Amino acid sequence: MEFKEYYKSLGVGQTASTDEIKKAYRKLARKYHPDVSKETDASARMAEVNEAYAVLSDPEKRAAFDKLAQRRAAGQDFQPPPDWDAGFHFSDAGSPVGDDGDFSEFFNSLFGRAARARHGGGARAQMRGADQHAKISINLADAYHGATRSLALREARLDESGNVVTAERVLDVRIPKGVKEGQSIRLRGQGSPGLNGGPAGDLYLEVEFEPDARYRIEGRDVTQTVSVAPWEAALGATIEVPTPAGRVEVKVPAGSSNGRKLRLKGRGIPGNPPGDLYLELELALPPANTEKARELYQTMAREFSSFNPREQMGA
Amino acid sequence: MTQPKLDAVLIDEETLDLQELASACAVPPTWVVERVEAGLLACSSSAGEMRFASAHLVRARRMVTTERRFDANQELAALVADLIEEVEQLRRQVQTRAKGARG
Repeated sequence: MEFKEYYKSLGVGQTASTDEIKKAYRKLARKYHPDVSKETDASARMAEVNEAYAVLSDPEKRAAFDKLAQRRAAGQDFQPPPDWDAGFHFSDAGSPVGDDGDFSEFFNSLFGRAARARHGGGARAQMRGADQHAKISINLADAYHGATRSLALREARLDESGNVVTAERVLDVRIPKGVKEGQSIRLRGQGSPGLNGGPAGDLYLEVEFEPDARYRIEGRDVTQTVSVAPWEAALGATIEVPTPAGRVEVKVPAGSSNGRKLRLKGRGIPGNPPGDLYLELELALPPANTEKARELYQTMAREFSSFNPREQMGA
Repeated sequence: MTQPKLDAVLIDEETLDLQELASACAVPPTWVVERVEAGLLACSSSAGEMRFASAHLVRARRMVTTERRFDANQELAALVADLIEEVEQLRRQVQTRAKGARG
């Protein structure tokens, strides 16, 4: 297990006052706030900073950590000595700034819920496990048809000898169709394990859509660009279009212009009510790369001599 | 070993009650009630009981985080949540227009 340099994470010295630690934390919390930060590793850095603050802002945890750091042999793989926390009492209030589930194996083995349970002494009260939160990425087809995704979660628990161990748990999750971007889905009883026989918490997954340049999504409404030939737009046509809802035949009305939207009611993301699918027409021009094609364009130029495509620009 | 497939439930089709929202945010139920009564956090109501959807859960978690990380009062945390929601909406609009412009 890797020893965490919490003072370094917050950029403060070991003699920093509580106030200095708080100031350093807030500065970094602004910098790495996942909703606004431009840093590529903002979420990971925020978790690291939260973890450091959870320890250094708590006088008991900080004192125990300092003692542990003094006894540590540099460069060696870290295992907490059996009596490392003798004389300290940690509150069971959890972290002030994050979920234990987000924190490292190092934190969980020393200060996490399972570790607190190990040091709970005579207190054997049942306790429900904490709810956990994670994000899950799906694509638009998954929202239409449902999907199964594997999720790997790290969790700390007590083994048979009462030692805290961190294990990876893989969940196969069936995501129902009709899910929207930003929506949360819940897996009952899949959060942190309960203590002393208490029930496990729930796992909440916030859904993100994988970026797909073909589609624009607003709630359950989906917009897709469809290329059409000039004669299809001008004369009207029935065209076959592959959509997230499957292949559909669509009637393009005669006289359609570039950018016209055709609405397919109820063909958006399923739900109650389902969203709509909008097909936005985009004119695709055949290349003038043969003598015949050039002749056809020249004929058009002659026949449409009064047509001014830049009329609206005042040209 | 083959894992059993777990069925996920969409929040919104099945909303959260007060206790569930509080638990998901790791706060006591009074924290939620205070903010609903102050108009900082919305909820829907069913048979006189508060119910919460996905958007409420995300907002409540943002408010908790802001209050804890910055010792912010509840009004300031709600203002931060408002601004983040606004930024998200504007980013979506920019993305939609950029895609539209590219075709």
